[in-house]
Amino acid sequence: MSDTATARRSLPRVSAQTIAGGLVAAIVGVLVLYPIFFLLQAALDVGDPDVRPPTAYGFGNFVAMGHYASILGNTVAVSIAATVMAMIFGFVTAWILSRTNVPYRQTLEQLMAVPYYVTPLLGAFAWSLLGAPQSGFINQLWRAFGGHGALIDIVTPFGIAWVMALFEGSVAFVMIGAVMQSMDPSLEEASQVIGASRLRTMLRVTLPLVAPGVLGATIYVFAEMLGSFSAALVLGLPNRFYVVTTAIYQLISQYPPRIPLAAAMGVSLFVLMFAMMFFYRRIVTSRSFVTVTGKAFRPRRMDMGGLRWVLFGVCAFYVLLSVVLPLATLAYASLQTIAVAFPTAANWTLANYRGALTMNAVRSALSNSLLLGLATATLGTLLTGLLCWIVYRSRLPGRGVIEYVAMFPQAVPRLVFAFGIMWAWLVIPVPIYGTIWLLLIAYLTVFMPLGMRTISGVMLQLDKTLEESAQMCGAPWIYRLRTVTIPLLRPGLLACWLLLFIASVRELGASILLMGPHSKVITPAIVESWFATSAELTAAMALIQTAVVAAAMGIFVVATRQVAGAGGD
Amino acid sequence: MGSASKTAPPALGLHAEPIEVEDLHIRYGSVVAVRGVSFAVRPGEQLTLLGPSGCGKTTTLRALAGLERPSAGTIRVGGQVVYSAAQHIDIPAEKRGLSMVFQSYAIWPHMTVFDNVAYGLRVRKRSKAEIKARVGEALDLVQMGAYAERRASQLSGGQQQRVALARACAFSPLVLLFDEPLSNLDAKLRADMRLELRELQHRLGVTSVYVTHDLEEALAMSDRIVVMRDGVVEQAGTPTEIYARPRNAFVADFVGSSNLVHGRLRPDLARDGLIALETASGEIVFGDPCGRALGTEPIFSIRTVHLAFSAERPEGTVNVWPVRVRRCVFQGDFTQIHVAWGDRELVIRSAALEPIAAGQSAWISADPWRCVLLEAE
Repeated sequence: MSDTATARRSLPRVSAQTIAGGLVAAIVGVLVLYPIFFLLQAALDVGDPDVRPPTAYGFGNFVAMGHYASILGNTVAVSIAATVMAMIFGFVTAWILSRTNVPYRQTLEQLMAVPYYVTPLLGAFAWSLLGAPQSGFINQLWRAFGGHGALIDIVTPFGIAWVMALFEGSVAFVMIGAVMQSMDPSLEEASQVIGASRLRTMLRVTLPLVAPGVLGATIYVFAEMLGSFSAALVLGLPNRFYVVTTAIYQLISQYPPRIPLAAAMGVSLFVLMFAMMFFYRRIVTSRSFVTVTGKAFRPRRMDMGGLRWVLFGVCAFYVLLSVVLPLATLAYASLQTIAVAFPTAANWTLANYRGALTMNAVRSALSNSLLLGLATATLGTLLTGLLCWIVYRSRLPGRGVIEYVAMFPQAVPRLVFAFGIMWAWLVIPVPIYGTIWLLLIAYLTVFMPLGMRTISGVMLQLDKTLEESAQMCGAPWIYRLRTVTIPLLRPGLLACWLLLFIASVRELGASILLMGPHSKVITPAIVESWFATSAELTAAMALIQTAVVAAAMGIFVVATRQVAGAGGD
Repeated sequence: MGSASKTAPPALGLHAEPIEVEDLHIRYGSVVAVRGVSFAVRPGEQLTLLGPSGCGKTTTLRALAGLERPSAGTIRVGGQVVYSAAQHIDIPAEKRGLSMVFQSYAIWPHMTVFDNVAYGLRVRKRSKAEIKARVGEALDLVQMGAYAERRASQLSGGQQQRVALARACAFSPLVLLFDEPLSNLDAKLRADMRLELRELQHRLGVTSVYVTHDLEEALAMSDRIVVMRDGVVEQAGTPTEIYARPRNAFVADFVGSSNLVHGRLRPDLARDGLIALETASGEIVFGDPCGRALGTEPIFSIRTVHLAFSAERPEGTVNVWPVRVRRCVFQGDFTQIHVAWGDRELVIRSAALEPIAAGQSAWISADPWRCVLLEAE
């Protein structure tokens, strides 16, 4: 930088934009970096465990992790198994839906997104009801038809991986589908024109072209698997099978807690995930392959003849396993006093719903969750919207750093991040710990990348000159945000609001650590119910939560349609 | 330069302000996009920044608008400093009072045509009656009066272009800036809009700066042209100056197509204000020194349309050479003929329609006053 350039930087220009930029940068910095600092501090704390700040620092906690090598092994094994299965689900369905003339393609495409909304937690409950070795419905049926022992056992590492894969498969589908859609079909046509068979074209042209995209998706999914929590909690805890996230939870919530060890595990996991995300970004951004030209191609769909109904069956089967069967199972179980495969007439009941709806604990947890959902969605949309504008549109110095910091929580499992938040706010003499305010702070932090990705997707498609022409008409910053940017971003902002709402109402990893006895929220309450009361009551609670989320989505969609309709579009 | 309309008061209450850009530098990180560009625009003049993509013309325009921050230099509009690195002045774009028509039109799709055009007036909190009158006037100016209540998303490209122009004029900006406004239109519409824009600019009498990479557009629309390359100004002048007397090989080639003829100076042959060069293969070429200094390697630029092609030997004693036709490409408005001339090839654009066979012998000639000496590098 020359002297003139640095002088220019110091020009005093205190505008609304500068103030908002500074404020947002400060909020992001505090929300993200402050807990990370405390997480690192705890991980390096080898002094007296009852004294804060630490009396001595060292790497002892990381060395002590050696005793828990089996947990790390479990985590990697489960994650690899789950990733492989999820990628198979994702690749097969993406290929069928984007490259063949499968019937009811559009309906299937919409259904493929549903598993993501069903969540692995509900999946784990349902598959536990279906596949537990003794009581599982499938095994009861198996024995009723003359089988011996258990046909399937879901309360195993493989079962955990199965449930994780079923629900992450939908993410893999979206990512691989995008790659396949963006591939120029003329590349394949060129191969066939010069006489290569369909199979040869697939192996020699299609696969190499989509390989980088698939590799990127694999790494992303693997990183998600490493940080996943709920399936391993529900299906692993009964047999004392731990992965890193559940081990951290156990170490923090046991008595006496082993905070430094938990922190060291959290930091290790986060370093691993961070490395994965780094590779993912490298692959995604450095891809020089022709698949991603930014042009939208209309992929050529192969005519599969009668086989297309088989392919339809494959996709439908995936939706059956990940959506229909789990929800049906929970609904079935929630209507019985004791869930069995062959219920007597007396076994049917509505008591579970009555119980769930009248229990004060459940009601307060549900209303807390809804309140938090509204607050997180509203504040989060405001925060991430401003953040996106500052990162992608402004000329403020340091915006690249702000983006990096804001996307940081993506590489940290929510449970680990929540631990950092807990540790950070415990030392603050503000009575926020154990209240829903701390949960609000946690949600705003951990969902910042989700909000940013949603809004930036729309913002980057928005031609920059639309705002610049408002500026050239003389409109100051806030005026042009109000009249041009926000109206044009509305779809993105609404999507962001809805996603943040859904994500907060169903959050588990951060909530389970941070909620206090008087600030319960619904998902951890459901998990508590699973371990402490009955599966039937839990199923009812889970379905109520799902219904509430679905109703909120419905209201929201109808409301936004009406607003859009009134706008005259 | 200049136009008759400049004496009349400009329409729409538009201004005629001068612009001065001095020693402008613009840098993106380590890349220097603009390196010491200076030019001045006289009141009411239409100036065009012309150059290939990546030459820094759009960046310069955006710096003038306030949308890019330069790293050094001074910009004055209407005598007022809007940017100065030395004085630490950088007036934000929205306060400079300029207006701009973008390549993408940037018409807001969520508003009606009326709302789009009224935007600048609403920002300035004008009365409802005034807004209505001004918007009507601006829309009539671009013949879009009937479309005021349409949604902007329902307009064709050409119509959006007109609305963008009306929007840019409606709030009486000091200066109009155009960033390749015609490049997204199809060729026919572009030619029509070119004439229309030129006429409108004359009628409004507003100072304007226009950016384009299209030579014809620049020649047809401008009072003066600034040719840029790699972030520096290569030549500034009226369209005819730029075309008839290019300063260097880049301008000669970019502004129309030219043959460049290298040779050794023959001072003994100079006469009547002409100088003579002898090429490596011995041809003598007379040309206009244009008052320029002679370098060690003098070059004449001869436009392809200024070479005459004929089957018979033409009249005249200088700049007449026998050639052999190598190939010939019919291109509609002209026929491009490549001929062997000494040890090199010359390109001629001729309006002739009759086919010319390759291998045929012929003659070419050139008016010595149209063979211009380039400046010494």
